[in-house]
Amino acid sequence: MKPIRRTLLGSGLAATAAVTLGLPMGRALAQGKEPLKFATLMDFTRVYTFLTSEYSQGQQDYIRLINLEGGVDGHPVNLTIRDHASHPQQGIAMYNEALRDGNIFFDFLSTPVANAVMPRANEDKVPMIAFAHGRADAIDGTEFPYVFPSAAIYRSQAALLMQYIDEQAGGLKGKKIAFVHIDSPFGKEPIALLEAMVQSKGFTLQGFPYPVPGTEQAATWTEVRRFRPDAVIIWGAGPGQAVSVRGAIGNGISPKSIYSVVWISDTDMQSFSGDTAVGVKRVTLVNPGTDQKIVQRIIEKVIEPGDGSGDRSTVGSTYYNIGVASMAIPVQAARLALGKSGAPLTGEKLKAGLEMIKDFDADGLMPPLTITAEDHQGGGWGRISEWNGKQWAPLSDWSTAEQDLVWKLIREEAGK
Amino acid sequence: MFYRLSGVHHTRYASARQLWPVPADRWQVYGILALALAAPLYLPQVYLSSYLLPWLIFGAATLALTLLMGLAGQLHFGFAAVMAIGAYASIHLSQAGVPFELALIGAGLLAALIGCLFGAAALRVKGLYLVMATVAMQFLVNWVIVNVTAISGGAVATLQTPRVSFLFIPMDGLMARYYLALLWAVIVTLLILNIKRTSFGRALVAVRDKDFAAAVIGVNIFKYKLLAFFSSSFLGGVTGAILAFCYYQAVTPEQFSFDVTISLVAMVLVGGLGSVIGAFLGAGFVLLAPIILLNSIASLVDAGWLSVSTTLMAHIPLMLYGAMIIGFLLYEPLGLAKIYDNLRKYFLVWPFRHTQS
Repeated sequence: MKPIRRTLLGSGLAATAAVTLGLPMGRALAQGKEPLKFATLMDFTRVYTFLTSEYSQGQQDYIRLINLEGGVDGHPVNLTIRDHASHPQQGIAMYNEALRDGNIFFDFLSTPVANAVMPRANEDKVPMIAFAHGRADAIDGTEFPYVFPSAAIYRSQAALLMQYIDEQAGGLKGKKIAFVHIDSPFGKEPIALLEAMVQSKGFTLQGFPYPVPGTEQAATWTEVRRFRPDAVIIWGAGPGQAVSVRGAIGNGISPKSIYSVVWISDTDMQSFSGDTAVGVKRVTLVNPGTDQKIVQRIIEKVIEPGDGSGDRSTVGSTYYNIGVASMAIPVQAARLALGKSGAPLTGEKLKAGLEMIKDFDADGLMPPLTITAEDHQGGGWGRISEWNGKQWAPLSDWSTAEQDLVWKLIREEAGK
Repeated sequence: MFYRLSGVHHTRYASARQLWPVPADRWQVYGILALALAAPLYLPQVYLSSYLLPWLIFGAATLALTLLMGLAGQLHFGFAAVMAIGAYASIHLSQAGVPFELALIGAGLLAALIGCLFGAAALRVKGLYLVMATVAMQFLVNWVIVNVTAISGGAVATLQTPRVSFLFIPMDGLMARYYLALLWAVIVTLLILNIKRTSFGRALVAVRDKDFAAAVIGVNIFKYKLLAFFSSSFLGGVTGAILAFCYYQAVTPEQFSFDVTISLVAMVLVGGLGSVIGAFLGAGFVLLAPIILLNSIASLVDAGWLSVSTTLMAHIPLMLYGAMIIGFLLYEPLGLAKIYDNLRKYFLVWPFRHTQS
């Protein structure tokens, strides 16, 4: 052969060899069986930016771990990740496309998009998770058969905070509680429950809304100071949370009497140096930290070999672990569903699998979750954690609060 | 050569004054109409429901806004609030038992009345100050909807549209909803196409160009400015109702936020002020370009040709989209409609040269 042709042929062969040998042959990759398709269509760019990148990182690392360990009964899990910027119209368009592509499980991580898609998910018979966000009546499995909040909804979280104040912080009777919230449907969610508790517990409640997006709260906190509350519940998300804590401390409220919703993370508290914010409490639905068994496995098999999907420092943070939990639940449901009905997995089988979940705690990552056909919340478990200057440390064990009242309110509202 | 002009001569005023005197233009319009009517037959369902349907509805909304901004020259930065009034009013009217056709008209009238109220600010202020007044309308209406639970459907703030039927055809299934949206888009298109040829349209153009000069020659600017707001808000209100019933089927206040208003204004400006084809081109661009860019970038990443983090993958389409808007407006400040117009003029006299106009 002519020299040039030989060189070309040689390099072509070498390239083919490299590509073939480069394929991951050594790992026990789930191969050969049909992949399970889960779609995480979330808001990376607009409203939920504080949460989504860490949450998605947790989800991707966990799915990579599952695929490395052989998939779900040999089926690999394929994650479709897209950004809808919390625009309901874009969310619906992407949902339709993902549905056409064969995705059978959805996570939107955005209250407006989740609310817009919920009726369609019920019609198209594909389950969706709305972990700790979205509308309260979605926990009723008979009304919303394909929507699975799978964690304490906002009203249950508020009930947990009030239960803690009642039992551990000096009781509620005769106390003044200030509810400082963002002026959006998310911020107003727990008001119905708190007002229902006023009668039975004998405290005074006043709401203090601050305007979206929550970066300007000075006026609200001046009013709160005039109210002289015994405890303050802050209900916001993202950068507004740090502004709230700063506003409270600046207006003479002790951090020990500040109670927050689940959406406050280590990053939010980093801006407080030293002891300024020690004592702030929040609802915890998923244990943070890198010493959880699942996170340890992720670090060992995914992060150490360099396959992590983001910053090493985020592994084990609050939102990362919530992301891991949000994928652990459908993976467990898929296992149960495949065990009972066999491949191929459809949306209806996955829904049945989700409703078979009993006392599932993902190796200690979450409280024991039991989902039934009627109760898609899973019991409303949570615990209270306190900021000790370095991390969020749990103060109590997993518990539930006021679930009868939560369900009673939902049934009353559905009747209207 | 492409637009056969030889042999095309008109012997009557009616044929010379028709909307498209050149037969080639007419055939293009018939072709597009035929494509739109036959869309459920050849278009996969996902593209029909997620791309074409919102394109038609937002195209109609852009036409309503271009009537106000392009023809009457009144800047309106609160149009999503007008659509919200129409959407919520139509749902409440249907739930109260009013037939769907009358509910649509009622929703339009309510939106027109409230739009007129805020539009009365146009009688005193112009330009950026009118923008402030209409932005105030946007936030006021949004606040009222969120905080008055009787309107927004309770603390959960999601209102489902009831099942209705339009002219005895039940609105179930994608095809019925698509054809209703198409019907409304065609009605609004015909209206805006012809409006410049009526005395109402000519009065609006006079008010836009120089309102005191128009007053001097006898155009009642008080009446025509209010009428501009009234008619544009009526069309916007009915479009909002169609959006709620045909596309979203469950309305939340976030679907009509300030961002949607800015998108609508972008659709009008990128498409071209005052032009009908510009409204649809602009609506298509603003609505579909982000999704198409996102899908292309995502498929590049999935195929392994581009390896970036998930967050960066979500931001690249936004960067490209912003660059495209700047690029289009720098290339042709008068918008996409002018780009189409330039192309048409080029092919009209091809292979001869044409003068840049």
